[in-house]
Amino acid sequence: MLTSGCASYPAAGFGEYVTAVAVPETPFVPQDRYQCGPAALQTVLQRSGAAVSLPWLVERVYVPGRQGSFQVEVAAAARAAGRIPYRVDGTLEAVGRELAAGRPVLVLQNLGVAWYPRWHFAVVYALDPVRGIVSLRSGTDRERHTAVDVFLRTWARADFWGIVVLRPDELPSEPDRERWFSAVADFERVAAAAAARMAWRTTARHWPEAPMPWFGLGNVAYASGDASAAESHYRRALALDPDYAMARNNLAWALADLGRIDDAVRELERALSSPKLPAALADEIRDSRRQIGARRGP
Amino acid sequence: MQDSNTATGQRRGFIRRVGFGRQCVLQLAIFAFTSLGFAQVSQAGMISSADARQIEQHASRSATIEAFLSRSDVAAELTRFGVSPEVVLARVDSLSDAEVAALQGRIDEQTAGGDALAVIGVVFLVLLILEVVGVTDIFKSI
Repeated sequence: MLTSGCASYPAAGFGEYVTAVAVPETPFVPQDRYQCGPAALQTVLQRSGAAVSLPWLVERVYVPGRQGSFQVEVAAAARAAGRIPYRVDGTLEAVGRELAAGRPVLVLQNLGVAWYPRWHFAVVYALDPVRGIVSLRSGTDRERHTAVDVFLRTWARADFWGIVVLRPDELPSEPDRERWFSAVADFERVAAAAAARMAWRTTARHWPEAPMPWFGLGNVAYASGDASAAESHYRRALALDPDYAMARNNLAWALADLGRIDDAVRELERALSSPKLPAALADEIRDSRRQIGARRGP
Repeated sequence: MQDSNTATGQRRGFIRRVGFGRQCVLQLAIFAFTSLGFAQVSQAGMISSADARQIEQHASRSATIEAFLSRSDVAAELTRFGVSPEVVLARVDSLSDAEVAALQGRIDEQTAGGDALAVIGVVFLVLLILEVVGVTDIFKSI
């Protein structure tokens, strides 16, 4: 996505935000030299109950040649530790909501300037609108109390990047549906099947009208070799949205694995005849039909 | 019609600018993925959850762009540039994920304050869209 270059942030302090909130139990992991990424990540992972060692994280997050870690590596390492990283809205209200739920927020700051950046990961554990203070576990400081305007400027220069890490049975407070679905889908790629299943189940309970979590559950079941469980999950997704062509495509593969080739081909024909089929998917589904049809044998 | 090579080169330059972050992210993701070593093996032909999210996001972003293009003030502006909205709409279908995301981001930015959009905002977005879909290479001269 395009960013607007050097953001000049009109420092407005806490603005409308009035709720003092703190997570004093937030662990403190002092950083070594350039290791602010691993240290900040271990802080939020420990708080979330994930036991990982600093060397394990350093290996994943800290690339010595670059003297810093990119956000994507931090997120990938959180997933590898069995947690779901979720990007919070770039507002103090959103940070306050997560703190109220007991989750400290890992933030990226640019302590330099736009044209000479000095990237730094830290963990917000308290907001105090009365004193105008944002409190962080930062570097070698257990308690870094920063004036809110200074914090907002450094955070703005890092595009207000901040994440919380969640267990597979948790949801962010006031989650953005689309962002959360993507977060769980990314988690599913690397997670153990049980954790991925739990994450989709938690998501399905919160959005009972959405087919995506059932599609995800189907994919987890299929990848674990349980085609018949996959079938019932995909059917659940399709009951919610009969035009959900991706679920019909995968349902066909599950049916094919169960030896029901004719049923599978029928599902694909149905997907192809839907007027709402996105053009981008038509080729994919025709390809599935060809491959599955070929299993009929001579 | 513009010299097509120049136009393509110009368009690639734009893609490179908007696409850099993404490429960087992609490479790191691949690195992270392979180094973890427990990729789930899936049947070719199956659509993974992550792929599904990409497809859905692309579709919803394209819808934002299409809704923008169907506004009457935008259509009028396009006509003023001698381009029919249908031509532009047809080309939006073939944009890459990065291009669609960039355009949708710009539209959201400009329309964040509500539906009312300053004339200058309309012109800016129309020019940007024309540039990205490769109808003009007007920004070359700036």
